[in-house]
Amino acid sequence: MPNSFERALQGITVCDFSWVGAGPIATSVLAQCGAKVIKIESLKRPDILRKGEPFKDGDNTGMDRSGYFANRNANKLDIALNMGHPDAREVAVRLIKQSDIIINNFRVGQMEKWHLGWDDVQKINPRIIYVTMSLQGLNGPHSEYMGYGVNLNALCGLTARAAFAGQPPFGTGTNYTDHVMVPTHTLFGIMAALLEREATGRGQTVTISQLEAAISMVPSDAMAYAANGEVLPPLGCGDPQAAPHGVYTTLGYRKWLAIAVFTEEEWRSLKKVMGNPAWAEEQKFASLEGRLRHQEELDAHIEAWTKGQYSDWLMDELLKNGVKAGMVKDAREAIEDPHLRQRGFWSYLDHPVVGVSLYNRAPVKFSRTPVIMETPAPSIGQHTKEVLSGMLGYSDQEIQKMTGDQVLV
Amino acid sequence: MAIMENNYFSKLKVLDFTGELGPYAAKMFAGIGADVIHIEPLDGDPLRQVGPFYKNVKTRDGSLPFCCFNSGKRGLALSLDHAEGRAVFQRLCESADLLVESFAPGYLAQRGLSYEILSARNPKLVHTSITPFGHTGPMAQQVGSDLTCAALSGFLYLAGVGHEKPVRSPDNQAYRMAEAYAAVGSQIALYGAQRSGKGQFVDVACIEAGAGALENAAQFWDLEGKIRRGRGKEAGTATIHPCADGYIAIVAIMGKNKVMWTPFVEWMKKEGVEEWEVFDDDKWIESSYRESKEGYDTFCRIFERYTMQHDKRYIYETGQGYSVAVTPVSNGKDLLENPQLKARGYWHSVRNETLGGDVVYPGAPYEFGEINWRQGGSAPRLGQHTREILAGHGYTQQDIDTLIKAGAIYAE
Repeated sequence: MPNSFERALQGITVCDFSWVGAGPIATSVLAQCGAKVIKIESLKRPDILRKGEPFKDGDNTGMDRSGYFANRNANKLDIALNMGHPDAREVAVRLIKQSDIIINNFRVGQMEKWHLGWDDVQKINPRIIYVTMSLQGLNGPHSEYMGYGVNLNALCGLTARAAFAGQPPFGTGTNYTDHVMVPTHTLFGIMAALLEREATGRGQTVTISQLEAAISMVPSDAMAYAANGEVLPPLGCGDPQAAPHGVYTTLGYRKWLAIAVFTEEEWRSLKKVMGNPAWAEEQKFASLEGRLRHQEELDAHIEAWTKGQYSDWLMDELLKNGVKAGMVKDAREAIEDPHLRQRGFWSYLDHPVVGVSLYNRAPVKFSRTPVIMETPAPSIGQHTKEVLSGMLGYSDQEIQKMTGDQVLV
Repeated sequence: MAIMENNYFSKLKVLDFTGELGPYAAKMFAGIGADVIHIEPLDGDPLRQVGPFYKNVKTRDGSLPFCCFNSGKRGLALSLDHAEGRAVFQRLCESADLLVESFAPGYLAQRGLSYEILSARNPKLVHTSITPFGHTGPMAQQVGSDLTCAALSGFLYLAGVGHEKPVRSPDNQAYRMAEAYAAVGSQIALYGAQRSGKGQFVDVACIEAGAGALENAAQFWDLEGKIRRGRGKEAGTATIHPCADGYIAIVAIMGKNKVMWTPFVEWMKKEGVEEWEVFDDDKWIESSYRESKEGYDTFCRIFERYTMQHDKRYIYETGQGYSVAVTPVSNGKDLLENPQLKARGYWHSVRNETLGGDVVYPGAPYEFGEINWRQGGSAPRLGQHTREILAGHGYTQQDIDTLIKAGAIYAE
């Protein structure tokens, strides 16, 4: 790695006990910005995402073929440390002494069991930032409840309105909360504590309640209920400030075009692109209120116009005329999207088992301190020797002994 | 715990010139104690026009999204189309640590307010821009909205199964994602600025935020050549089911994880669900069976016979009692009545003098050992703090009056 440029988080070390989704995404962003992230895994307790689809060529043998795992763990060093062994703690302690951040998303009480709760860790390194990510906070009647991303999506209010009228809610179709809401708030909390440390010299705890972080990004329904006593209706593909606003069928297999018309000027432009059809001049479509009131009929007219056309050509024509439009791209089209490619959003890294494979960087571009995708996801314990004999100061003999004793596995 | 005297964020000066896109980024800074000035054009932030509205009355101060995302900020109104307004903006930027804005690429540069110009006078300034497509790339100059960004990023495609049209998530998630990443990027740049004295330009694009939220869909294409859509039709694996008063979401099994399935069967058995024995079979451990029409239909038939007899809350608390990952599909009412959120004092009810009543807000997304999260005061009225802010930047009352008369700024 050339050192000719500055990395934003150069010199920051992360002791990373997090696994699965939200934690590793957060630490991956730190690693992309130059932090040294040391992922602690064990052959006895691998990150379960290593067995998460997809796998290179659909073959899930071994622990290194999952793309789900890989994309969350680029740029990290990985040490195999069997925390079930009593001697493992000392290795963790040496690492903690040199770390700026320690993060876990275990169930409450796991770190304490290893005597690595905040009280202990603070004594080992008073400058450390201690991050926990519980589902619903450390106290309260539901603090022990369990849930996956899809559960959290539903619980936080994201799913309820992601529905077409008269149909069951669907949501994002992903574990959205795990991928965006929780890691971004975790990162913001970590960086706040790091900045604060510059002023105080002390570390502190950062305690995420995944539910509470998530709700802050979907506040409207609860706020409206509190203010007006009404639950907001399903959103479909609509928007109360725009009409037409929706996803319209175009030519091809599962091809749609999103069109969003907010202003009268945009409506006039859309009409122009449609060739000013007679129906569009009807009085009932002359204002936003009217178009919202007759939305179903409006959408049927628009779709009758889009369905015989190519979404990409139509999008270009609409954009050229100042109408907000976007093809509904699938993952392949997003990967091949010239805009995302030109911005360097996607990277291909050469993984020793999987070969050259696809990663994405954090969605942030800095003018001075680059975000870099450097190394592919590590194997379990790939850097055990390097980290222990390097920064942790263990001799080869000690490492050999701890490996034999099932500590470094 | 008390805010420390040498607290970093109480000294941090943030300028927030955003509208419908952008306000949550600076709101996150306001929450941890930064001095955030929300700058609006003279005719007001367009977000003020966006509902739902307080008491369902559309007023300039009643937009609940505006109230939410701009609480804890002070407000100032100025015109960037007026030379004196631009001069005021530039002066504010001279002493700011962070500028967050969501103008179209080129808009500020055309007015002589590019990052290069602003940073020449204030090298430590971090300038964060949030736009649909970012400042570089072939689409940079195109118009975009939350929906079209979600569509182009690949994110929207996942919100459906089979041939279904995708559905949209509430609260403009393509915008919210970009804002959350913009806040993080701003902090990373501030950290660099603190160490080097040099700020930088931070370019955050909604399309990238969306493309970063594809879960494993990009890798499905890259590694297996498969195009996936949303989860939701594999029995008991992230499925949503109707109940007496709405819907619940359940993950009773993932992959071949029988350890998860056993408690689910136990739950059904103990509740005396008719045909529960059908679930007590290893075929459910195979995702191929759960994905089959027979598997999905059978699951729904038996499980929904139970769920339809109970409300969300009962199913949630009972199922969790058996260690099953089941949750309500919460609406606004459920969230306000949620016992966990109540017990933790999550919701904040704050009197809004302008609206003449209380507004309820989401509370802290995180807790710190030392940093105090705060809800802060109500979102500002247009130009509410113009005078005090400009007085704090060395303008006399006479200067301010002159600027108002000239149409460069607005103060109430």
